[in-house]
Amino acid sequence: MAAMLQPQIILLKEGTDTSQGKAQLVSNINACTATADVVRTTLGPRGMDKLIHDNKGTVTISNDGATIMKLLDIVHPAAKILVDIAKSQDSEVGDGTTTVVLLAGEFLKEAKPFIEDGVHPQNLIRSYRTACSLALEKVKELAVSIEGKSLEEKKSLLAKCATTTLSSKLIGGEKEFFASMVVNAVIAIGHDDRLNMIGIKKVPGGNMRDSFLVNGVAFKKTFSYAGFEQQPKKFENPKILLLNIELELKSEKENAEIRLSDPSQYQSIVDAEWNIIYDKLDKCVQSGAKVVLSRLAIGDLATQYFADRDIFCAGRVTEEDLQRVAAATGGTVQTSVNNIIDEVLGTCELFEERQVGNERFNIFCGCPSGHTATIVLRGGADQFIEEAERSLHDAIMIVRRAMKNSTVVAGGGAIDMELSRYLRQHARTIAGKSQLFINSYAKALEVIPRQLCDNAGFDATDVLNKLRQKHALQSGEGANYGVDINTGGITDSFANFVWEPAVVKINAINAATEAACLILSVDETVKNPKSESAQGEAAASAMGGRGRGGAFPGRGRGMRRR
Amino acid sequence: MGFQMQPYGIQTMLKEGHKHLSGLDEAVLKNIDACKQLSAITRTSLGPNGMNKMVINHLDKLFVTNDAATIVNELEVQHPAAKILVLASKAQQEEIGDGANLTISFAGELLQNAEELIRMGLHPSEIISGYTKAINKTVEILEQLVEKGSENIDVRNKDQVICRMKAAVASKQFGQEDILCSLVADACIQVCPKNPANFNVDNVRVVKLLGGGLHNSAVVRGMVLKSDAVGSIKQVEKAKLENYSKTEEAKVEELIKAVADSGAKVIVSGAAIGEMALHFCERYKLMVLKISSKFELRRFCRTTGSVAMLKLSQPNPDDLGHVDSITVEEIGGVRVTIAKNEEGGNSVATVVLRGSTDSILDDLERAIDDGVNTYKAMCRDSRIVPGAAATEIELARRVKEFSYKETGLDQYAIAKFAESFEMVPRTLAENAGLNEMEIMSSLYAEHASGNSKVGIDLEEGVCKDISILDVWDLYITKFFALKYAADAACTVLRVDQIIMAKPAGGPKRDQPAAGMDED
Repeated sequence: MAAMLQPQIILLKEGTDTSQGKAQLVSNINACTATADVVRTTLGPRGMDKLIHDNKGTVTISNDGATIMKLLDIVHPAAKILVDIAKSQDSEVGDGTTTVVLLAGEFLKEAKPFIEDGVHPQNLIRSYRTACSLALEKVKELAVSIEGKSLEEKKSLLAKCATTTLSSKLIGGEKEFFASMVVNAVIAIGHDDRLNMIGIKKVPGGNMRDSFLVNGVAFKKTFSYAGFEQQPKKFENPKILLLNIELELKSEKENAEIRLSDPSQYQSIVDAEWNIIYDKLDKCVQSGAKVVLSRLAIGDLATQYFADRDIFCAGRVTEEDLQRVAAATGGTVQTSVNNIIDEVLGTCELFEERQVGNERFNIFCGCPSGHTATIVLRGGADQFIEEAERSLHDAIMIVRRAMKNSTVVAGGGAIDMELSRYLRQHARTIAGKSQLFINSYAKALEVIPRQLCDNAGFDATDVLNKLRQKHALQSGEGANYGVDINTGGITDSFANFVWEPAVVKINAINAATEAACLILSVDETVKNPKSESAQGEAAASAMGGRGRGGAFPGRGRGMRRR
Repeated sequence: MGFQMQPYGIQTMLKEGHKHLSGLDEAVLKNIDACKQLSAITRTSLGPNGMNKMVINHLDKLFVTNDAATIVNELEVQHPAAKILVLASKAQQEEIGDGANLTISFAGELLQNAEELIRMGLHPSEIISGYTKAINKTVEILEQLVEKGSENIDVRNKDQVICRMKAAVASKQFGQEDILCSLVADACIQVCPKNPANFNVDNVRVVKLLGGGLHNSAVVRGMVLKSDAVGSIKQVEKAKLENYSKTEEAKVEELIKAVADSGAKVIVSGAAIGEMALHFCERYKLMVLKISSKFELRRFCRTTGSVAMLKLSQPNPDDLGHVDSITVEEIGGVRVTIAKNEEGGNSVATVVLRGSTDSILDDLERAIDDGVNTYKAMCRDSRIVPGAAATEIELARRVKEFSYKETGLDQYAIAKFAESFEMVPRTLAENAGLNEMEIMSSLYAEHASGNSKVGIDLEEGVCKDISILDVWDLYITKFFALKYAADAACTVLRVDQIIMAKPAGGPKRDQPAAGMDED
């Protein structure tokens, strides 16, 4: 009773929010399911796009799970974990971001009734982990290797993978067209696969079919000075000089001061300035280069100087493009014009300036080292091209992963159904509670084909029953059957070339399980009030506290061990 | 009540707005209550089946963890008495690096039992003297419980190391301890110096890369830098480059040439590298790496055995380091530079962790930290005691016996101290969803019949001999955890008055408390 009389004990800071127990766990699960519901409808070839209008007024249309999750700006701590796994999937394999969120959401949804019935979460977690490792083994077992095929064969196989990815995107209508483009681009950059060696340039106007692949580098014509028109715009086998200096008067960066006693001396200083730049230009010309590119400005003087000597030049080329040109032509970027040796000059078969839409493009083709490719995208609206770029990025990533790991599995929900069947079968051999849990894990995997049907407007129950029957066949011949998106029935996905790289599925299942287990293992949330520096609008309430608040950042973290 | 209508006594001396609490009801019991609340928060995280907590700190950073030290750190505990417990757990964390949860939970339990004694009518000082006697006896008994033959271990023997490390790591990442332990053990053994007592936890680095799963994690002999570089060649030399202006073109070339002539193939710089310098490095086919952190640079020196040079000039051959290979690889969309030394003798190892979310990675890192710290502790003192609550039950039994021999009121306190040990098996069972009463009684029965090594098998939910399960705790961890807990409990009990001066002017937000949090 003594406690009743006393004021309440303040253990934690004012404004701290704590919640604990089963209710907390269930509410976390609900939040995650709600998040998964947002991206649910974007899955598969018949998935719908989302239009996201953010607070800056930018409009994004996308059906890429990672993009949507990033733009949603989720604040719920548990649901944030789903955003994390979508990002992780994006960086690891590039595609399958919707799948991973959906799977995690479904695992949690299946776990919810058990939690409500009082099952200890740790039991669930353990079973989910077992199921996950079983499923991964099965994926590896089912995967078909495309290693050791000839280049032509490999190309067509990779194109199949790219087609599967692209079919679920906005540019799905032209999937074959883009798939071969993507495969060519990836093969062009070879094994040293730096992603930034594939450039994607966007030019509004025209239609999708007008997009093309440049086996080399292409970039938009840079800002040019008078005299540019006189320069030749086409070379065969030119030498290319790449610079990182400005060819302009007044190039001194530092403030310099010169005091003159005699006005006639002024002329000598001006002369010296002109001499410096003429000297630089001379050296460029002497190197034998026919194309001069620089990251910094090339002034009008230099432009005309080069024009007189039939040399093409472009200044203010972006760093990325310059790096790409360097990689493609075999040249190196020079920071000085002194001592230019032949080794540092690049070359290519053909350089030309071409009109694309209402833009002019500088294009380098037939590059000797060939480690670059550029895709020029055309399309009607800005948002459309943006989305097309994201889709191509996904497809590029998929092809790269497929090249690296070179095993594929059947898509269209076939692999998920097969895993589900395998786990159910395995569950029967287990005594105890974990049989139930593994069964629910197996059920959760079915969400992929189910959602594919739902999104396409088919009767999911019907299709799923047909699939289950096929997969249950003793002979195992039905293992590759998945949803047929065209007819609304089922079909052998593998024979119809609906393929995805095994690594996509492996990573998706892994990440989804890890996230689900993490959320299940949380039973308490403590939210500390934000420190004043973190909340900008706290100015009104904190007059004196402001200055102190500034000392907050880093304090919390500085206390970490070591 | 503390706030009377008329100011008198101490109230007259202090400024308006202070708080003054005294006496058993107001001070001691209230303190105990606060500590109990704190230990209730951490208690559910104890043991392998403990639950995680989500803590969002004042910077809006999310922590998902069951590492007690992290939880109490981020909780920003305000109550002065509860803070003593936090400090005790921090002391434990610094001393051993593991067992923080045991400290808080045990201290909480001691205080809860003390409350009962106080309500019975015992004076806090009697409880304190009883507790002090009890902890001394406990330490004595603990020493007897040490597994024979465990004083000597070969810290380079992976199996022996894993066996001791497992319990610590399993309590953080249950179900993944096998993978983690072997990673940690590998890394630790690699960097263990000739005299194991000089083991430096700083030499085991952790690099977290998003994507993949735990089974993709690996140990790299050498360093992994999360940055890209130009080129890819062997051998490393170290030099700090200054940023040169362009007019000194010839000078720069001369310097770089000197470096190149010395046989170096890689330049690692702490400061920025000028474009001009980079240009010449490319010309002379030197690989250039930039490490902006000073500590990171020092570690790099240790890895390669090179000497950092302040000035760019021709380096001595002695100053040059060596690594077997430096490669730039792409892992999960991030480009990393890996400096590897395959043969022994290198002093830094890096654990590359993979996981699907930042929170998972952070938690894995904490588990690894605990593992590494355990290794350090075991290098100092490798004695082990039975784990899985076997030690606690044995202590409870023996301290209880000891209490009967005491005359005077201490007896009650010692008996309660013994009872407090029951908290560990009870919580372990509770967290695992087992019937705690059943487990407790069968544990006591086993121990009474002389099987002092019987503990809980959480997988099967029965009591088993620890030597079969192979769950061992380090003696030194237990020792400090119990000692700190008892000390903290006594300190809290000793307080009978709380006087809080009026917070200095300004807004109500409790700045003084936040300031105290800093330590």
